[in-house]
Amino acid sequence: MSEEVTRVLVVDDEEGMRQGCRKILTPEGFIVEDAPDGVAGLELFQSRNDFAMALVDLNMPRMGGMELIEKLRALDKDVVILVITAYATIETAVEATHRGAYAYIPKPFTPDELLLPVRNGIEHRALTIEARRLREEKENRLLEVAVERSRCNTIISCMTDGVLVVNRDRQVVLRNAAIMSTMPSCAQQPLSSPVSDIGCTMLAELIEQALSADSGPVIESKEITVDKQTFLASASPVFEPDATLVGAVAVLRDITALKKLDTTKSMFVSMVAHELKSPLAAVANYLQLILNGLVEGDPDKQRHMLTRSLLRISALRELIEELLDLQAIKAGKFALRRSPVNISEVVKNSLDTNREKAEQKKIALNLSIAPGTEDTRVLADPDSLLIIFGNLINNAVKYSHSDGHVDLHVAQNDVFVHVTVKDDGIGMAEDELEHAFDEFYRAKNQHTVEIPGSGLGLSLVKRLVETHQGHVAAVSVPDRGTTFTVSLPIAD
Amino acid sequence: MTKSSANILIVDDDVDFLLWAKCVLEGAGYGVRTCADPTEALARLEENLPDLVITDLMMSALDSGFTLARSIKDMTSAKHLPVILVTAAAAQRGFDFRPHTDEDLAAMNTDAFLSKPLDPQQLLGEVHRLLASQDASPQGHGTPTKPRENAE
Repeated sequence: MSEEVTRVLVVDDEEGMRQGCRKILTPEGFIVEDAPDGVAGLELFQSRNDFAMALVDLNMPRMGGMELIEKLRALDKDVVILVITAYATIETAVEATHRGAYAYIPKPFTPDELLLPVRNGIEHRALTIEARRLREEKENRLLEVAVERSRCNTIISCMTDGVLVVNRDRQVVLRNAAIMSTMPSCAQQPLSSPVSDIGCTMLAELIEQALSADSGPVIESKEITVDKQTFLASASPVFEPDATLVGAVAVLRDITALKKLDTTKSMFVSMVAHELKSPLAAVANYLQLILNGLVEGDPDKQRHMLTRSLLRISALRELIEELLDLQAIKAGKFALRRSPVNISEVVKNSLDTNREKAEQKKIALNLSIAPGTEDTRVLADPDSLLIIFGNLINNAVKYSHSDGHVDLHVAQNDVFVHVTVKDDGIGMAEDELEHAFDEFYRAKNQHTVEIPGSGLGLSLVKRLVETHQGHVAAVSVPDRGTTFTVSLPIAD
Repeated sequence: MTKSSANILIVDDDVDFLLWAKCVLEGAGYGVRTCADPTEALARLEENLPDLVITDLMMSALDSGFTLARSIKDMTSAKHLPVILVTAAAAQRGFDFRPHTDEDLAAMNTDAFLSKPLDPQQLLGEVHRLLASQDASPQGHGTPTKPRENAE
């Protein structure tokens, strides 16, 4: 018996019958409770709700056996109901069975005539419960498998890398969303079409390599290009647990953006090399000329060449400093230590640093500070501010004619402090202005050819200003001058 | 039989290279004109044809020198002009686009390719050589040994 305690409810209006059942069943280990009619029986059943079996008489006052059977069955689908009655007919037996009775015991009965169906009923109940448990377990497991499968599918379809699976016959059997969107030729072919139909020979070859692997998870990896995209692709064979080859799985990562970055970086290095070599070549050429005595008779020319050499060397030094600054900004090492800085003070300091250079060119440097802005502070890295304004003032002086003017003005609104650096120099045309902040861009015209510069200064300024959550803008008219405005958020 | 009176146009946005090359070539007796802007150079070329052009590679654009050289070879009146390309960009390692064969030179529409800094003797040597081969074919259509002729 599956349960330790088997509780049996006896419902009969005959006291003798109730006692009789109790006497037969109790020694056999059953716990017997009884009720004299259908209503009392139903109440007792509901109050405990742990009866394994009910013995029900058919003819009772208040509620008859047929009605009780139906109600009990509705309450508990596992309770075993045995009908005990003195009016046994085939019809009542059939009806009782229809309503949910398990067996039919005609009165009077011997102890064995009662015990046998009771034991059978209990056995039947145990089997039914066990069978249902097994069925539920199986269903749960199936559900689990289904969930696991859909989880795998979800993971594969959500992967940012493209996944392509082929079977042993080189037919595509699985592909995820990523590969369909990055490799449209893959989406155009229906499932189970040959992998060669995708139109990417390199991918087909890679998969072929994986499929021809003898054993173990060999992973082939290489770069493949499709149209203008580059993928880092790896393919490995798929084996069953018994080591039979069933197919191959390819994973493709779109590295187009990385390749582009790589090209940009190579370009940058080439540009840097060119900018570093050019001034060295110029200086070397001049020195060679002078040493070889080719300008011996012309001291003015010699002097000019030596002066130019010095100028190129100092521009080279400036370039190297700017390259290092640029590198530091790119690595995020700049503007890490910020403190409240008086912006007018910084502008004044930057101006003083450039005063000598301006005086040599007879350029008037002028600073005006709007009333109420004298003590305005910005949260900034003081070194960065010196580079920003130093560069702008240096540029203004560099690209101004002799006897020109460079005017600096500090003003503010509620949120920003604006520093304008205005010159009346050579200015820039619209297409030059557009690229003014690009790395290594230099406006090239008859005014600028003699002015050495790296083309890095303004790109540095822009990066630094933006690191401080500010922005920089330029307005320019050729032959009239340029005005740069740096706006930085005011510190609270 | 090099004509030292030959006229040479030098195009480079580096004024110091212009001054240096002018000194070297004038010292050897050549007539020299300089120009810092490749577009302007093309205009000057049309109004007064030199005997040889020396041009830098990276000017306003990364490939200004290539563009200028091609434009010259496209001009009916100037296609015979020898063009010498000079650059500080050429590298022996890494980004290497130096010509290795005559075909490479022809593809660049160029007759000689020199790396900065130049040796004065090297520059003069190339100029002499190219002008001499120019003299050998007075019609101005180059010699059969010219790489660019092979490419055409």
